[in-house]
Amino acid sequence: MKQSWDGKDLRDMFAAGSNWLEKSVAEVNAINVFPVPDGDTGTNMLLTLRSVIEEADRASDTTVGVMSKAMAHGALLGARGNSGVILSQIFRGMAKGFDGKAQFTGPDWAAALTQAAKTAREGLSNPVDGTILTVIKDAAGSGQQFADQHPDDLLAIINETVREARESVARTPTLLPVLMEAGVVDAGGQGLYILLDGALRYLKGELEDLQYRKPQMVSANITATRNVNVIAADEEEAYGYCTNFLLEGDNLDPEKIRRKLEDRGQSLVVAGDETAVRVHIHSYDPGSILAYATSLGTLHQIQIQNMDDQHVGFKEMQKQKAMPADIAVVAVAFGPGMIKLYESLGAIVVKGGQTMNPSVKEILAAVEAVEPNKVILLPNNKNIILTASQIKDLTKKSVEVIPTRTIPQGVTALMIFNYESTLEENIQAMSEAVKSVKTVEITTAARSTQIHGLKVQQGQAIGIIDDTELVAAGDDVQDVLMRSLDKGGISSVEMITIYYGADLQAETAEEVVNKLKEKYPGKQIELVSGGQPHYFYVVSLE
Amino acid sequence: MIKLVTDSTCDIPADLIKKYGITIVPINVLFGNETYRDGIDINAEQFYKKLVESKVHPTTSAQSPGYFSELFTRLSKETDEILLVLFSSKISATFESAVQAKALVGDICKIELVDSLQTCGALGLPVLKAAEMIQSGAKLADVAAAVKDMCSRAHSYMVFDTLEYLRKGGRIGRAQALLGGLLKITPILTLREGIVTPVQRTRSRTQAIDALVNLVKGANKIEALMLQHATTPDELEILAKRVAEFYPREKTIFSTVNSVIGAHVGPHVLCVNFIEGK
Repeated sequence: MKQSWDGKDLRDMFAAGSNWLEKSVAEVNAINVFPVPDGDTGTNMLLTLRSVIEEADRASDTTVGVMSKAMAHGALLGARGNSGVILSQIFRGMAKGFDGKAQFTGPDWAAALTQAAKTAREGLSNPVDGTILTVIKDAAGSGQQFADQHPDDLLAIINETVREARESVARTPTLLPVLMEAGVVDAGGQGLYILLDGALRYLKGELEDLQYRKPQMVSANITATRNVNVIAADEEEAYGYCTNFLLEGDNLDPEKIRRKLEDRGQSLVVAGDETAVRVHIHSYDPGSILAYATSLGTLHQIQIQNMDDQHVGFKEMQKQKAMPADIAVVAVAFGPGMIKLYESLGAIVVKGGQTMNPSVKEILAAVEAVEPNKVILLPNNKNIILTASQIKDLTKKSVEVIPTRTIPQGVTALMIFNYESTLEENIQAMSEAVKSVKTVEITTAARSTQIHGLKVQQGQAIGIIDDTELVAAGDDVQDVLMRSLDKGGISSVEMITIYYGADLQAETAEEVVNKLKEKYPGKQIELVSGGQPHYFYVVSLE
Repeated sequence: MIKLVTDSTCDIPADLIKKYGITIVPINVLFGNETYRDGIDINAEQFYKKLVESKVHPTTSAQSPGYFSELFTRLSKETDEILLVLFSSKISATFESAVQAKALVGDICKIELVDSLQTCGALGLPVLKAAEMIQSGAKLADVAAAVKDMCSRAHSYMVFDTLEYLRKGGRIGRAQALLGGLLKITPILTLREGIVTPVQRTRSRTQAIDALVNLVKGANKIEALMLQHATTPDELEILAKRVAEFYPREKTIFSTVNSVIGAHVGPHVLCVNFIEGK
């Protein structure tokens, strides 16, 4: 195995990587939500790469120093869109790293990537983590470390950078909330990973794979809690114009241009050198940007796109890969854990509960905001059932209420929701499922009273079954819980789900779970931090 | 006579494959660097044993165009008509390879390619019907049209213990929506338009079996049925008994989920497959 490669190898590996990326352009476009969900990241990266390879073919010699410079120049000339311009910065940094070298070794590769990560970051006025910037940084860092230990193994070093790039892509949603919300990984990072993966496969000689297989998209272990349409509906402001051009002139100063344009729009990227500068910016007033630029030199490859038009196209694209649901479920829930739970099960949540019932207006707004025309409502509280049942007459959508009185009833109903069934079939199945769950709630008595011979002091813990029947009272919360569970028929159920409230520590709740596991071996017991106020425990027995 | 070809994910039992003379294209399963041809180098039983014991998680790889061009050349010496029905092009590059190979070999014989957009029994059952048609002398064009139609009416519903294998294998599809939940779920998935798509969530195996039974029960009219498991024969029997209440057991086909799909669904898969009537 050879231990160093020249410019021709560099060109060929990126050419292979570009072809590899080309096969996944549609998939990369479809996950593009940041900075603007316009669905063109994959296309922009590919077009930029085409220009990279074109210039590489014209390079004057095959040393890696000259070749990488030609490639960087090609990237600058051909850069398209936000991701394309950042990619051009990556190539620019890589060329800096390879400057003056005839060949490159593993440590050279790691160093060039490190330089690429640095240069890419510098090109931005407002670098954001959880994007392609993070992916190149992580890949470079890991490659650098590996190269320190195994300086002689070029292929293994490249392999390590690609492996880490993949991991890093999977982590992007944890760094950038908008990705988490849309349930996707960063599109630019994904594109970069595929490019590097293709390059690696070429170096490994997996030519048949490159020709006949398709890249694997990285996916993260996260839920799409809200679909992209809903996110877009929230942000009603227009996106403006995506403005992109190449400025050529003498003595250009990219840094100065960046400072000048910083306040004129979003997603600004300025990359280049004294003779050519690539500018990308999202602006409401592209005219003023062009006017400024023409005062510095000549403009080339001017592209101005209305991003609202692009966004419409993007939404169309999303529909194809979205869940085939033409029914939405809107649920009322309280407590951060409960809300997250409902969202992770695909419901749209209206905040509210025992002490703060949502208004008709709030529920109606949620019903109107969802894309589907059929909506199932889960009130999850007896005081909200009436409010929910009024929605039907206030909207053109067909709305059905399943009169759930407790949070567990709502969860059970939502669980059984079938993506392929009709509204009627779902209503029937969900209503049926509600009957199969028993709810035990432990809360504090608001006043002293006596019911069915049970004496309750104000402030004592009380246990209630299915929101109707008071079954236990006492000073010790855990004891009341255990007695209430007994009354609720815990011994004959299969599954126990415990949602503990905001006033309890996780350890306290875990203690309860351990006791129950001991007492009822073989039962499926789950503990969830519901974070609900007023209720120590809400337990579902199924 | 028309030569019928499908792939090893069709899960048609060996005796029926033999009876109809169906040619099976093996899909590769890889544990690290060891490659096994599904159904040839490794059978389902050995695979699931290895799946549970092995430290490395298996991956799968599509059959190459080279394989198909050799196959076409070989079969063209026995027949002048080939019907190839393969598992969903949305989850494997195998179909793509076959398309490439068809272009490579030129017109050595008539080759009809069908992308079933299905797998497991939802692929196997239409293939079996096609085999019957071929035996009774149907024409290639008619058989191909019938297979496409049956695939569009076929369903394969699978119970999963975990979606982790699917996610790692990059084939999570629309089931991404089920990931990251706070509660343990036992989801039921299917292929829609060839893509992995969630159908329903359940909370336990018992509920999941109920759901599978209801999916069969809710079907319009069942033209063919296959029930499958991987390592849980007792559960298969429970499922079979309940399904037998509305579809004759003697007409039901039983089989084990192949290694290739097994690598993505794990050892506790349960699966009902049927062709729904028009």
